[in-house]
Amino acid sequence: MLVTTGRALAYTLLLPLTAGIGLVHLVVVLLSVLTTVNLVGVPMLALSLVAARGLGTVNRRLARALLGARVTDPAPFRPGKGLFRWMGAALVDATGWRAVGHALIRIPAAVLALAAAAGLWGGGLILLVSPVWRLVPDGWPSAALLAPAGLALLLLAPRGLRLALAPERLLAGTLLGMSASETRIRRLEQARAFAVDDAVARLRQVERDLHDGTSARLVTLAMSLGLAREELDLAHHPGHLERARELVGGAHRDAKETVAELRDLIRGILPPALDQGLETALATLAARTPIPVRLHTDLPERPDPSIEVVAYFCATELLANVVRHSGARHAAVDVRGRDGRLTLTVRDDGTGGAVAGAGSGLRGLAARVGAVDGAIDVRSPAGGPTVITVALPFRI
Amino acid sequence: MRIVIAEDAVMLRDGLRMLLTARGRDVVAAVGDGEALRAAVAEHEPDVAVVDVRMPPTHTDEGLQAAIRIRRDHPNVGVLVFSQYIETRYAAQLLADGAHGVGYLLKERVADVSDFLSALDRIAGGETVLDPEVVTQIMGASRRAETLVTLTSRERDVLALMAEGRSNTAIAGALFLSYGSVEKHVSQIFAKLGLPPSDNDHRRVLAVLRHLQA
Repeated sequence: MLVTTGRALAYTLLLPLTAGIGLVHLVVVLLSVLTTVNLVGVPMLALSLVAARGLGTVNRRLARALLGARVTDPAPFRPGKGLFRWMGAALVDATGWRAVGHALIRIPAAVLALAAAAGLWGGGLILLVSPVWRLVPDGWPSAALLAPAGLALLLLAPRGLRLALAPERLLAGTLLGMSASETRIRRLEQARAFAVDDAVARLRQVERDLHDGTSARLVTLAMSLGLAREELDLAHHPGHLERARELVGGAHRDAKETVAELRDLIRGILPPALDQGLETALATLAARTPIPVRLHTDLPERPDPSIEVVAYFCATELLANVVRHSGARHAAVDVRGRDGRLTLTVRDDGTGGAVAGAGSGLRGLAARVGAVDGAIDVRSPAGGPTVITVALPFRI
Repeated sequence: MRIVIAEDAVMLRDGLRMLLTARGRDVVAAVGDGEALRAAVAEHEPDVAVVDVRMPPTHTDEGLQAAIRIRRDHPNVGVLVFSQYIETRYAAQLLADGAHGVGYLLKERVADVSDFLSALDRIAGGETVLDPEVVTQIMGASRRAETLVTLTSRERDVLALMAEGRSNTAIAGALFLSYGSVEKHVSQIFAKLGLPPSDNDHRRVLAVLRHLQA
């Protein structure tokens, strides 16, 4: 509390400097704009826009450090090579122009904050000491009233200043950070990076499963059969036929296990039941889950196949979590399609406490869902029940 | 013959141990990663180490790296690198320090038990055994490489069998040729690959290596 008040006060006391420099800079920008007619102003304007970026950075950092404003860094300035490219990039640099806008619009906000600080602390102090120094003219209410009023003002000052700084914080957040389109681009870039990494990770997993599982099993199987064949070549000697039968028996068992393992592996890659739609695939999934799962689907039409796949894997992951972590005895899966959105809800009567933090699997799920512009909502109070809702677009 | 097995798939490791023991070989240790393999080799100094390429913790080429170090630190231990896939680059790395007592085979070769056992025996005896698949890949690559285009298809067949560590007599038997004509092919191969005459069989391996490096 004391620290934040100190910071807010420091920010306010710096305002004459920061806002003042901004004002001077605004004049330079204005002059450059006015002189662009005779071309001298063009490089000047470019330079001052790049400078605006710098001022914006200073103001952004101050707002972040002292006001606790949530401002993301905008994309760095990346001009092409050469003077003309550099100037061109600077002249159309949205971040620079927005910083100029900030310097202009913030003036009333800065005045407000300064006035509030002066009024609250200054006024409070004056009132507090007025009985001693006889600052107020005779005939005013007595000191007994003035001093407590001053004290009240001082006590209210921190809250009042914070309120008066709200416009400053808001302006820094909207004009000095990433613009909405930049934020969107950043989000899409992250989603793309995730999608690529995820695809590679899945391929690697499939490769590893085939290499360590199926392939190793088949080699062992071939080895047993190779041994059996050699035993059969010696079948006329006592004992070898029995040995061959034993080996073939083992190989037969291995072959059946390999087929079962391969089936699970295939289902993990892409369940064949999805060809018939989400409903069929989820019914199979519900039936294979070790606890009873009530399934309800209400889809007026089929979503895009890729959305079906995402929804299916969300259900798989969420049900696996239910079985592994929740201690639930029942679960319910609900799928609905409405207004071009698909909602998948998985409920359980377990102990709750699921968090979308690191390593919970929910984070990966959130990224996967985010990659198709979907969203995930986790409600899992300690003690349960847990309700997780995944919202996906119908069409990608 | 004393053997150390390094294979991380438990099923296959147990199967190998069973097979080798049943055929009268002495499996002195069976381990699941490269670190344990080097410890086991240092402790037992076996005749042959059978090494899976991909093992924990990295699951990349752990086994190959361990095999290369074993060949450096224990020159008397034969090494059979045993893998589910063939990379000529791996073969080249393995043979870089010489080709004495080394082999590189696909895992499924174990299905032909006698061939597998004889490969182990030959490696223990200091010979080189390369999987036919290595040779196929080298040949596939060599068709593009200029120096090797000059080999006739018959010479390639002979070189392929040489790479598998077969003797001239065995090659003659396999290709239904006379011993003399195999000899002629072999010296043709040496000449075309620019290997100077010498009275030692090491040239055969050098011929294979020349291909690997092409």
